[in-house]
Order: sequence, then structure tokens, then C-alpha cells
Amino acid sequence: MKIEDGFTVRAPRERVWAFLTDPARMAPCIPGCREIQIVGPKAYRARVRVALGPIKAEFNLEIEVEEEVPPRLARSVTRGEEGTRASTLLAKSVLELEEIGSAATAVRYSSDIAVMGRFGKFGLGVMKKKAEALGAEFAAAVSERIEAGA
Amino acid sequence: MTAMAFHLPDTIDGALRLLAADPEAQLLAGGATLVAMMNAGLVQPSALVSLRRIAALRGIERSADGSVRIGAMTRHCDTARSEDLAGGHAVVREAASVIASPPVRNMGTMGGSVAFADPAADYLPALVAADAEIEIARPGGWRRLPVAQFLLDWYQTALEPAELIAALHLPPAPTAAVGHYDKLSRVEGDYATASVAVVLAMSGRACSHIAVAVGACGPKPVRLAEAERALLGSPLDEGALSLAGRLLAEAADPVDDVRSSAEYRRRVIPRLVRRAVRSAAARIA
Repeated sequence: MKIEDGFTVRAPRERVWAFLTDPARMAPCIPGCREIQIVGPKAYRARVRVALGPIKAEFNLEIEVEEEVPPRLARSVTRGEEGTRASTLLAKSVLELEEIGSAATAVRYSSDIAVMGRFGKFGLGVMKKKAEALGAEFAAAVSERIEAGA
Repeated sequence: MTAMAFHLPDTIDGALRLLAADPEAQLLAGGATLVAMMNAGLVQPSALVSLRRIAALRGIERSADGSVRIGAMTRHCDTARSEDLAGGHAVVREAASVIASPPVRNMGTMGGSVAFADPAADYLPALVAADAEIEIARPGGWRRLPVAQFLLDWYQTALEPAELIAALHLPPAPTAAVGHYDKLSRVEGDYATASVAVVLAMSGRACSHIAVAVGACGPKPVRLAEAERALLGSPLDEGALSLAGRLLAEAADPVDDVRSSAEYRRRVIPRLVRRAVRSAAARIA
């Protein structure tokens, strides 16, 4: 499934870029993120918990940044699996920042996500709605922290 | 795989204590959905707290004022043949009669269905159209809220981990009202592709009460005051029906899934609303 969305932050592009590329500051904005580790110059490991009704899952994710053009573009690949290996996940994501004047930034992201395993039994439509809702939560948290001066 | 505990409490308090003691425990009602999900590896509770032995959760009672209390453990098959669900309340009885297939209706319960809150479940629009309230038992007390407020988002309800659904309450339906549930599905026994629940009363040729809730077309049933205002007082003419249908379709938030595309659902809502309201009106005439 493909997720495309965006949001605007009232802050200059350099500040938004610095925030989004700093795992320590960015991770708390990811809904359900339990832990993030830096495992290489462009590689991270994270644990993320998601719930859909009575179904709860915790994914171990490996994120690799494949291309960075500061302060406007980043491409990354995320591979993930549940502890029990019941589901796997592969996502290719693009993040783009565009200046809106000198004091605001448009953040756009798109992600092509494939989920296999037990979640494959779930309707993709509902998963997409859930992903969009998590994206909106992330956007709200990022904007709030950056605009508060974090 | 680790061992799973199985509990069979006799009372609501007993069930609540077991829930409070283990946050990963799962309530088991009829098991029509939960057991299938466990078999598919989607949920792995540490314990099941079966509500089967709790007599207070069973049965349908009609009060003198015309309100009806349906115990959470009442099975779909019993709801589907209840004579207490007459007039406007028939919308709930009709919804029960088209849930899945007879074996599922012999197992599944209203409380279980509402707790799972599958947006395509037949009860949800029927209960919302009937202005039903949900009675929730919690440690040290009870609370009650409208079903429309209980349903929050996709598969997400206001039920807290330490709470259980005790019953559904239907307020008295308007005098001479009729209830009707119209389900569009690919084959008999499937979940709804889209559905419409209607409670309708007429005064002469004019509509004197209307509730229309659209199911399976968003995270929760779509009910819209504006759409109902378009119908109220009207003779349910084509203009009023198409306006109501259009408003409901615009307010819906359907998804693409194996049953149909979101686009198809948006297109079918106005037609299904028209058909459901006309069928209900035909029963009055």
C-alpha cells in the first residue's frame, strides 16, 4: 500500500531537517515507538508497538537511510518483523522538505509499504486508514515540538 | 506457545476481578469472532474469561414504558426471533437475522459483536438508528453511554481494559414506528458491503420520525442530523430522499477492500438509503 501525506511546520527548513534527522528527538514523536538505537552512520534499529482493536503487534524495525540531500530530501528503507516472525514488513520511504518563505516548512512523505504474514489477513483498506491516522499523530507531535523550540 | 488460562466466573464482579488481575486477559462471549481470530494467530490472550455462566448477562426484557434491555450475552438467533423487538425496535431484530450464517447466529452475542466493533457488523447501524445505549460494568460501578459515542474509530471503542459490556438498552420507539435493516452483501452470509438501518414513523403522508444509519462505510455507522432534517416532515419524495442519500454518502469514509471499492460504496449509499426508507414506508402504508 502507498501512503502519501504531508504537513506544515512553522519553523525554518534547517531546523525541521535537524529535528527529523535526529533519532533522539524524532523517535518520541513516532506513535508506539518503544526504543530507538543508532547502529551505524545511517542505520537505526527501533521497536514499535501498534494495535488494531484486539490485535496487538510489536515490530522490530531496521531503518537504513539510502540517500540524503540536506536539508530537503531523504530516502530510506525499513525492514521489520514481529518477534514471533508472524509478520514481516518492508517499506520504502521518501521525505521531502520545502521552504514556505523563511519561517515555515512543508514536510511531505510517501511510503510504499508491504506487510506480509498474519496481517495480510486483515483488509488493506483498514490498515491504510490506521497508517494515515498514525501519520497524522506523528505530524502533530513533530509540529508541536519543533514550534515549541525543541 | 505458552499455556492459556481459562476462567468461568458466575458473576459480573467475578469476571471484573479476573480482568483487573491480568491486563492481557480477554473476555470470551460467544467466540464467533474471537476464536476464529485466535485460530488465525491474530490474537494470543494470556487468559480467557468466559461470560457464559453469568445469568445476569442473558435475555431480552421489555419494560412497561416500551424500553428494551438486551443482555450482552444474548445470542443473535435469540435476538432475531424476539417478539419484544417490535415496531421501531424491529430494526435490531432484522439486523440480527442477517448476521453471517445460522451456526454463527447460534454462537455469536450482541455484546461480543459490539465490543469487537467491526465496522461492517450488522448490529452497529441498527443500534445507532435505534438510539441504543450501552450499559458497562466496571470495578465498583456502572456507566451508560450512547452506542454512537461508544464507537470511536476503526475497531476502537470506549471500553476500558477493566470493563465489560453488560447490556444494550433501546429507548421506547416512537408510536407506530417501523424499523427496517437493509443489507447489501456479495452473497448471503457475508459481511455487509454497505447497509442501512432505518427507524421511521409517519403522520399522515408526512414523515414524523426518522433515523437513518449507514453501516460498513467508515470507522463507525454514519448518522447525520442534516440528512434526517431533509426527510423529516417530507412525504419521502424523490428530492428529499436523494438529498439525504447524497449527504450520507459525502459524510461516509469507506475503504477499498475485498468486498468492494470505496468508490462503489459511495455510489451505492444513496440508492440503498432510498430503497431502505421506501421499504420501511411501504410497511406503514
